[in-house]
Amino acid sequence: MIKNFIHQFASPKTYIYQVDRLYPYILYISLTIYLISIFWGLFLTPEDFVQGNSYRIIYLHVPASFISQSLFMAMAIASAIYLIWKVKLSVYLVRSIAPIGAVTTFIALISGSIWGIPTWGTWWVWDARIVSTLILFIMYLGLISLHDSFSNHEKADKFLSILALVGSVNIPIIKMSVEWWSTLHQPASITISNKPAIDLVMLYPLFGSMIGFAGIVTCLVILSSKLQILKRERNKSWVKNYA
Amino acid sequence: MLNFKFNSLSEALLMQSQNGQNHGIFVWSVIIIVFISILATFVFYKINIKKISKKLK
Repeated sequence: MIKNFIHQFASPKTYIYQVDRLYPYILYISLTIYLISIFWGLFLTPEDFVQGNSYRIIYLHVPASFISQSLFMAMAIASAIYLIWKVKLSVYLVRSIAPIGAVTTFIALISGSIWGIPTWGTWWVWDARIVSTLILFIMYLGLISLHDSFSNHEKADKFLSILALVGSVNIPIIKMSVEWWSTLHQPASITISNKPAIDLVMLYPLFGSMIGFAGIVTCLVILSSKLQILKRERNKSWVKNYA
Repeated sequence: MLNFKFNSLSEALLMQSQNGQNHGIFVWSVIIIVFISILATFVFYKINIKKISKKLK
């Protein structure tokens, strides 16, 4: 029964019909949460004692950084599933997540750079956290171009999965960079083990923006994976019926 | 707790901090970049899905 369930869920056809059903709910709920949280963070939270009003960038920067790292971990897990069980859908997801990961990392880098101007007095420093995030961005772009450079899909999928798995080593480095090296970037304000270093008044909208952004990014991954499935499975009869 | 921290639209646009610096330009630039990036990605995928669906029909 479990095997049947996994087999059915791992089918691109089932996946595409299921996500089509969920897509509008995820989109409207997450968009509402995101917009309310951004509004709350921008206009209803008090000014930060040290950073002034520039700290409000946190409501856009932190969700993007968190999601860009989470997406790479999701890619690594999907890659492992593909390499072990040869589930086609998982490698389609790896290829679909890569461009969305690049967009979120781009947002994280740009918003961080702009935040750096009033806070650090510079838009760029060769700091461990920033450089490891730049490497993440380059890895996303590298994975996309590597996959597209092969004419043989099977070979491309295999190399993509191996590289995504190897590249996931960078995620703990990004996370721990502020602890391992002396960096200009501040340490994490929210950790699982300690009390948050940020006041609750500022924390609630931050959580909201993170949840909302995660939902929006999920919708983008759904669209990207749909495109990938339609491209790769175009010769199947169900795809013609679906289109 | 949930009171507006700015008294007018121009205050909200400028976002002047207690040290006298206007941080609005930084905050609003980030908001514009984020929203344009998200919107452009949505539009890109919607257009491409439509194109490929037309080809497949």
